[in-house]
Amino acid sequence: MAATEKEILQVRELTKSFYGVAANDKVSFSLRNGEVHGLLGENGAGKSTLCSILAGLYRPDSGDVILNSERIRFRSPLDASNMGIGMVHQHFKLISSFTVAENMVLGLNAKSRNISLGTVEDEVRELARQYGLDVEPSAHVWQLSVGEQQRVEILRQLFRGARILILDEPTAVLAPQECDRLFEAVRHMVERDHSVILVSHKMDEILSNTDRVTVLVGGRNAGTLRTNETDAAELAKLMIGSDHLPKLANKSLRRFVESTPVLTIRDLEVIGDRGTEAVSGASLEVLSGQIVGVAGVAGNGQREFQQAIVGRRQISGGSIMLRGRDITQLSSRARSRSGLAYVPEDRLGTGLASGLTLEENLILKSYNEPPYSHRGVLSTAVITAAAEKLVKDFDIRGARSGMPVSLMSGGNLQKAILARELSRPHDLLLAASPTRGLDLAATASVRQHIRADTEKGGAVLLFSEDLGEIVELSDLILVLAGGRIVGSYTPATLDISELGLLMTGAKVHN
Amino acid sequence: MSKQFSISPRAVPSWTLRVSVPFAALVAAAIIGGSILALSGSNPLEAYRTMVDASFNGLRPATRTLTLATPLILTGLAAAVAFRMKIWNIGAEGQLYIGAVTASGLALALPTSTPRSITIAILLIGGIAAGAVWAGLAAIPKAYFSADEVITTLMLNFVALSFMNYLIFGTVSYWRNPETRYPEGLQIPENAKLPMISYRLHYGIVIAILAAILIWWILRRTTYGFELRTIGDSQEASRYAGMRVNTKILSVLALSGALAGGAGAIEVSGVVGRLDPHALSTHELGFTGIVVAAVARLNCMTVIPVAVLLAALMTSGSSLQRVLGIQPEIVFFLQGLIFLFVAAGEFFLANKVNITTKAPTRLEVDGGLTGE
Repeated sequence: MAATEKEILQVRELTKSFYGVAANDKVSFSLRNGEVHGLLGENGAGKSTLCSILAGLYRPDSGDVILNSERIRFRSPLDASNMGIGMVHQHFKLISSFTVAENMVLGLNAKSRNISLGTVEDEVRELARQYGLDVEPSAHVWQLSVGEQQRVEILRQLFRGARILILDEPTAVLAPQECDRLFEAVRHMVERDHSVILVSHKMDEILSNTDRVTVLVGGRNAGTLRTNETDAAELAKLMIGSDHLPKLANKSLRRFVESTPVLTIRDLEVIGDRGTEAVSGASLEVLSGQIVGVAGVAGNGQREFQQAIVGRRQISGGSIMLRGRDITQLSSRARSRSGLAYVPEDRLGTGLASGLTLEENLILKSYNEPPYSHRGVLSTAVITAAAEKLVKDFDIRGARSGMPVSLMSGGNLQKAILARELSRPHDLLLAASPTRGLDLAATASVRQHIRADTEKGGAVLLFSEDLGEIVELSDLILVLAGGRIVGSYTPATLDISELGLLMTGAKVHN
Repeated sequence: MSKQFSISPRAVPSWTLRVSVPFAALVAAAIIGGSILALSGSNPLEAYRTMVDASFNGLRPATRTLTLATPLILTGLAAAVAFRMKIWNIGAEGQLYIGAVTASGLALALPTSTPRSITIAILLIGGIAAGAVWAGLAAIPKAYFSADEVITTLMLNFVALSFMNYLIFGTVSYWRNPETRYPEGLQIPENAKLPMISYRLHYGIVIAILAAILIWWILRRTTYGFELRTIGDSQEASRYAGMRVNTKILSVLALSGALAGGAGAIEVSGVVGRLDPHALSTHELGFTGIVVAAVARLNCMTVIPVAVLLAALMTSGSSLQRVLGIQPEIVFFLQGLIFLFVAAGEFFLANKVNITTKAPTRLEVDGGLTGE
């Protein structure tokens, strides 16, 4: 490839915090002229924040961006674009009722306003030919497939003279053949002396398409390596980082030999929103008193898996048994009544109705059961008393009568959901990222409630992107990648680096 | 350093605020309206006295206001209950006409020997059912094919209006009086008319207030109302809680249509006395109900005072023109101003405005974006 040692872009000690949490913590990194540089990291490692700063979307709290040996400060994405940095976002920023050519000139400077669309179309056609980004400039964007729209986004940046392209998780939305075409185009770009930053959490993709790779962990640079001098295992080890995982030695090994299975899933097949298979042939078993953690990078079928279990998504194959009873055909309400408690990832809007009061949200699932209502009439005194008890038992703070729950803090919202779900009779608790975005105290309290539930004989199936949480809580760790369960560990057999490899979709040969 | 305004929802407004804010809104509107009146050459105090005289001062004006408020309470409820669930039924106008057509038809068909209470009960039920069915025409495509109810309910208004006009003006129908040269509806018999309370105020006002209390009770105290409020707040959360969203969409549109249809039946039985397309459509009672609901912030009990206020503005407006000779444009302006201020007052009741003086923070430049 055309990579040279000359550094075109340098980032020095860049820090950016949101609401007191550092998304980037003194990140340094450099991009060479004509190279493809991979940015690898888990969700929340700070990749998107770093790219957004480079694209002029965010201003850093401190630190420098140096472009062609000149210190620069972007005030807007337009500044970045004028300096030759273009970003292709995960969610495209195209106007779907405009044509491809119209999208090209969208937001361009007033000086160039009297360009004819015909000229633009010709220019785009030429660019498309050069870079192998086949797309018809006169087509309307709504007519285009996702892959074509992405090509339009890339062309738009090239049209505006971008020398540095930032591709944020470009393959997340693409089918495999389209991915090959994309990387073909990336090679054309570097041949023409462009530099590319490729953001990804897919190991294989990084290994086969980059010159160098920088691993971000918790907002810090954990190391920059030459791709041909490293391998998946080394990168996975860096990416997982070992220092932030809880000590495994302290964890008591519990035995479940005599326990009965609470949840049994056999060969589950679920179709995702885009018509492709989101979960393929997954089987698992959760025993009484056991916490089974499902580790994995977001977008590998977790959402569809959960929706299938709670009855919010049709399954195309397999079976789900709760305490030996087949619940595959039951409605979500019937599943909830047969003992399935669910803490969804999305608190406000799914777990809670944001405009209703705490009291009302606490009966969201039992409002039509005695003693909360009789013959369709709510028993307000009973509801208030039950709510007061839950508020006390779960230490839910900040609620006032008549106040919508949307004004409460995240930790208290999560406690409210837990209170509602755990106070109903249940055999299994399905929890998705239950501590995401919570502060330390709230996190500890939520985890405590989950643990306490298993001590009473409950079973827990935990989905989380936070590997630390999975390791700390689980008695059995499963790895979900590409909709399949690709690994299974007990605390005794846990091999963190192998687990990291599996999570990122790499193949492990035993 | 710069002054910054931010708006945040008020958790629970206190009772003093609930009383003082609308009052302050009225005073503010009166001051601004008064200056406009003075500039246009009228005496504001005289104008306000005329308005009060025409709408509230004395039994006759007060009953006139309440008579007009009666259908507005019902159409206001119709809009409020549907909008609560984010179902945009703007077809109350047509549902009201169909309710009136049905009620007057039933009144003409029933033998005159039927006891008054039974006749009235039948025509009310008929009007309510017809309004529900008419709304149902929009509800079914909404629930099963996601057809936009704004379009369907709006279009059905024109169908209903044309149908009602046709029955009187287009053909010698069952509803039309065959003896008059100018086409008009047949008078309904006396036993189909709602009894009067005082002057022209009929017992429909009691029905309307009871309906408001009933709807409030249903929304607040029943599992059905709980489902409606949850679905209105978040469909995702209600599906997660296992509620059947589609059947509730059907039923809430029918309920909304039933209230509007009931308003039509009450207008026929209590005020108009026959199927009179002109009298039934002149105040655009269905559309005005949407304004009532919006100003009342979809609160069923607030619908009552808002409907009364709007009715008072409508009745006093005509006497401003008649008694003082104030131009109709100024009258409309004044009406609009008062209503705008009341609506703004409702907004400040539900939200508070925070004014802070501080240097811009870093977060501002991020807009709504957050980290990964």
